[in-house]
Amino acid sequence: MASKYGRTARSSAFQWFAHRITGTFLIFLLITHFWVQHFDRVTASISHDVVTHDQAETGVLPRYSDEAAAAVRASQARDGQRAPETPRVVPAQDSRFGQGDADAPGPTHPPAENAGPEPYDVLMLRLADPVYAVLWKGFNLLFLLFALHHGFYGLNNILTDYIRNDMARVGATALSWTLALVLFLVGAYSVIVAGL
Amino acid sequence: MAVAAPRATPAAQPVQRYKVRTGMFAWMLHRLTGLALIGYLVLHIWGLKSITNREAYNALITSYHAPIFKVGEFLLLGAVIYHALNGLRIVLIDFVGWSPNQKRLFWTLGAVAAVLFAVGGYPSLAALFDYLNG
Repeated sequence: MASKYGRTARSSAFQWFAHRITGTFLIFLLITHFWVQHFDRVTASISHDVVTHDQAETGVLPRYSDEAAAAVRASQARDGQRAPETPRVVPAQDSRFGQGDADAPGPTHPPAENAGPEPYDVLMLRLADPVYAVLWKGFNLLFLLFALHHGFYGLNNILTDYIRNDMARVGATALSWTLALVLFLVGAYSVIVAGL
Repeated sequence: MAVAAPRATPAAQPVQRYKVRTGMFAWMLHRLTGLALIGYLVLHIWGLKSITNREAYNALITSYHAPIFKVGEFLLLGAVIYHALNGLRIVLIDFVGWSPNQKRLFWTLGAVAAVLFAVGGYPSLAALFDYLNG
């Protein structure tokens, strides 16, 4: 950037400015992300349920709210696919809580619970409507870009503060921004192809 | 950029000492939470590659329901809230030259953070509490 001090390619004034802008935006992006993933009764990916590693090994999936289950059923009925789902086999209640043998016959959960949606079904609720899918993908791409720029610019502030060797500092900067670019490409790919 | 400062004679001052006051503490915590958040961001983006596959995604989200993850989620929320509020304070100072009583502001924001922490952390803690009580 040109300034009264002459042209200096190393000026990071724009980066500094962008750091504050992305930081402010990230507060709102994070609140939305947090709300959708944890508080929204229908679309939350993280439910009020705990699944231990051992349970996960036996194929137990987290339980979702009745609202989420109803929304998934309605969505699948609309699409005319996977209609009335066969009850998911869940290990007996005893084995879920560490008593009795793990081979006990299931399912012993109430039928409604066995038919509960899978995490992937809940995710697809948000991507089922084409308009919302585009909006959510745009939101997530912006979120991804801002989070990576903010995080890696901040990381570079720390690296340049503590790495005193010039070569090592340049190396660390190049390596960290390369990692950021790889993560952006991986993340953008995940966001774009999700649900397609 | 860093300027090479004349070093104190090594014998007289072998270790650099800092006086950690509120502002210094706020700055250190901002850096530490920032580093923690980058670490989580990298793992999170890498993990979400599985979003393209039903089975892999189900397994990932199920692992997010592990007891240890509920604890981690709570700590993550704490890091995010601190970093966000302190960052907002920095932005206001930088952009509008806002300079109220900084120490009082720091502790006031601390109280706001505690409330956000309680409200936002409720889902993780309640789930964990129910799990521990059968």
